[in-house]
Amino acid sequence: MLAFLRFERRRLFGEKKNLIFLGFISLFSAYFVWSGLNEQRQFQAEKKIFINFEKEKFSQFVTYAQYGGFGFRLLYEASPLNLFFVNSSVLQDVESNIDGLETIKVESSFKGNKLFLKRGYFKDFAGIPFIFGSLFMLYLGHLALVSPAYLRFMTGRMALKKYYALTTAARLFWLDLFFVSLGLGLFFLVQLGGVAFSGSEKKIFLSYLLFLVLLLNFFYLLGQLTSVLVRFRKVFFLWFFIIWFICIFLLPESNRISVFNKSRVLESAEKVNLEKFRTLMALEKKFRDYLKVNPAAPLDQIRQMQKKFAVQFINNSFLLNTGLETKYLRDVEKVIASHERQSVLFPTTFYHFLSGEASGKGYYGYLDFMDYIIGLRNRFMQFYLKNRYEGNEATVESFVKNDENIFRSRSRLPKTFWFGLLVTVFYGAVFLVLAYWLLRRQVFQP
Amino acid sequence: MIAIKNLTLEKGDFYLSGLSLEVAEGEIYFLLNRLDQDNDFLFRTLSGFQAAGSGEISYDGNRLLGAEHPQTAVFIDRVNDRADFDTEARLGQWFDFLCAQGLGRENIYKTLLVGNFHERQLKKMVRDLAPETFKLAYLAVCLAADSANVVINDFIKGAEKSFELKFNKLLLQKKAGGRSILFLGNDIFYASEIADRVGFIKNGRLMFEAAAADLKDMDIKDLYLKFLN
Repeated sequence: MLAFLRFERRRLFGEKKNLIFLGFISLFSAYFVWSGLNEQRQFQAEKKIFINFEKEKFSQFVTYAQYGGFGFRLLYEASPLNLFFVNSSVLQDVESNIDGLETIKVESSFKGNKLFLKRGYFKDFAGIPFIFGSLFMLYLGHLALVSPAYLRFMTGRMALKKYYALTTAARLFWLDLFFVSLGLGLFFLVQLGGVAFSGSEKKIFLSYLLFLVLLLNFFYLLGQLTSVLVRFRKVFFLWFFIIWFICIFLLPESNRISVFNKSRVLESAEKVNLEKFRTLMALEKKFRDYLKVNPAAPLDQIRQMQKKFAVQFINNSFLLNTGLETKYLRDVEKVIASHERQSVLFPTTFYHFLSGEASGKGYYGYLDFMDYIIGLRNRFMQFYLKNRYEGNEATVESFVKNDENIFRSRSRLPKTFWFGLLVTVFYGAVFLVLAYWLLRRQVFQP
Repeated sequence: MIAIKNLTLEKGDFYLSGLSLEVAEGEIYFLLNRLDQDNDFLFRTLSGFQAAGSGEISYDGNRLLGAEHPQTAVFIDRVNDRADFDTEARLGQWFDFLCAQGLGRENIYKTLLVGNFHERQLKKMVRDLAPETFKLAYLAVCLAADSANVVINDFIKGAEKSFELKFNKLLLQKKAGGRSILFLGNDIFYASEIADRVGFIKNGRLMFEAAAADLKDMDIKDLYLKFLN
């Protein structure tokens, strides 16, 4: 085995074009990590401005009516791991406004420098090994077995099975070592750059790296299999490109289109908002009807009625609307769960799903954010109505304690992570065995 | 000793019927067959990469069984395309790897020395070697196993005369060492020069067999037209 390791190391790292490609992958990965780190720092600086702005805005409110009308903004802060996945996440920079209005808004701003933030597909650490690493592994898988003539020659020196297994193992060892070192090296460099990761984030990054390496092995074995399937012919390069394109672009895109089609069963968000609005307006109408019937009611009586309607609102309409919102969110969750189940079936689609979740800005991050908004809004409405109709209007007290207006999303692994990992290993094992079986039939012809 | 008994092969246009021959120790037997692909097919069968229809092939009494590469013989194939052997490693590294698999480095260098091989070639990639140097390196690895039986498939085809002479020297050394050598090819002039015995295959049958010494008294052109045209 040692001789194989030595020889394959020389084959892989002694070839100039391989070194150039590996250098290119390292350089671009480092560049995008550095760029992600800058964005992270920029976000932290803007977060401080955001907190100060919100404090300043609150200090301007004179009445609770104003506070309820304007409300406060809620900022989505992704996990520090997001710097590795800035363009692989589902959500971009988002925030929400918690106020007395019925509609829950989740918005992304394109104002100022944020207009220039979006860099497009794959331009982050997760994207470089995915696009270029997969291409490189496919190519190296193709080169591994050299040619049928060479294999016949080597079979004269050792069993084909031994040569095939040890060559594959040795090449994968060096290539995996390269990608693991690259990932870990950049992870440590980022830590040196002042980013602190929690224990669970470290585990998530290691798990992500494990999946990345298995995904790249999948491509290597696919390259080896394709080479055998086309009998080492030169036209391979065309096939090789088609296969790579299908795996990297077509299947993830079809998966995305599929989830979009599934999401069409969801009611339109506007419809839900309209339904909530109708519930609210029905209560408003009742209040207006009361004023029409009692036009000369004294102010005290009107205030008493307002309070009564507010309590009625909290106990009926608001609960109804929150129920509508929660139900809608659970329906979205079902679509996400079905998307996750579908993604797990193929390594590249699952890689997209995993990157999104590991970034903390994935689908489940969104669900957490929405749950947080609903909970916070619930508390805010109670606080607002209580203080507006029962409390002392002379001083306005802030609802936001500490940094409640910052939602810290956590990185996570999808629930199906280990299953996705096993599926990828399974594909790899099938490719390995199938390639050997076909190769044996090519070398030893019946 | 190489022994072929009643060997029958058939695949596509190629067929061979009832081939029987024996190559004794210290003998070079040249089997002439018109088409390269027929020689390739027969070579693949003799080296165990192609299943035989019927009949028996044995090396030193060890019968070749189905799809299995025999370890009791050395097989030297026609290698015209260096790209088929481009491992993206340097020649020296390739030798190191093969030596780690049990090949004697001394044996490799013995062959290389006969071919006036220069050490600086070891630092080159296979694809950067001159065709003759690559052939010599390939030959050195093949002969390093030092088996009692050698099967060659038209190895010197297209090679320069200087290389052919070096190769002949090595072949005669092996012969002198008591090796049984079976050479497949279609060059009757080369056969008459190097072999002890020559066999002609035509229409899938061994039509004619003669000692190489006797060939010199025959009209080679006539033999060529009769069997190899």
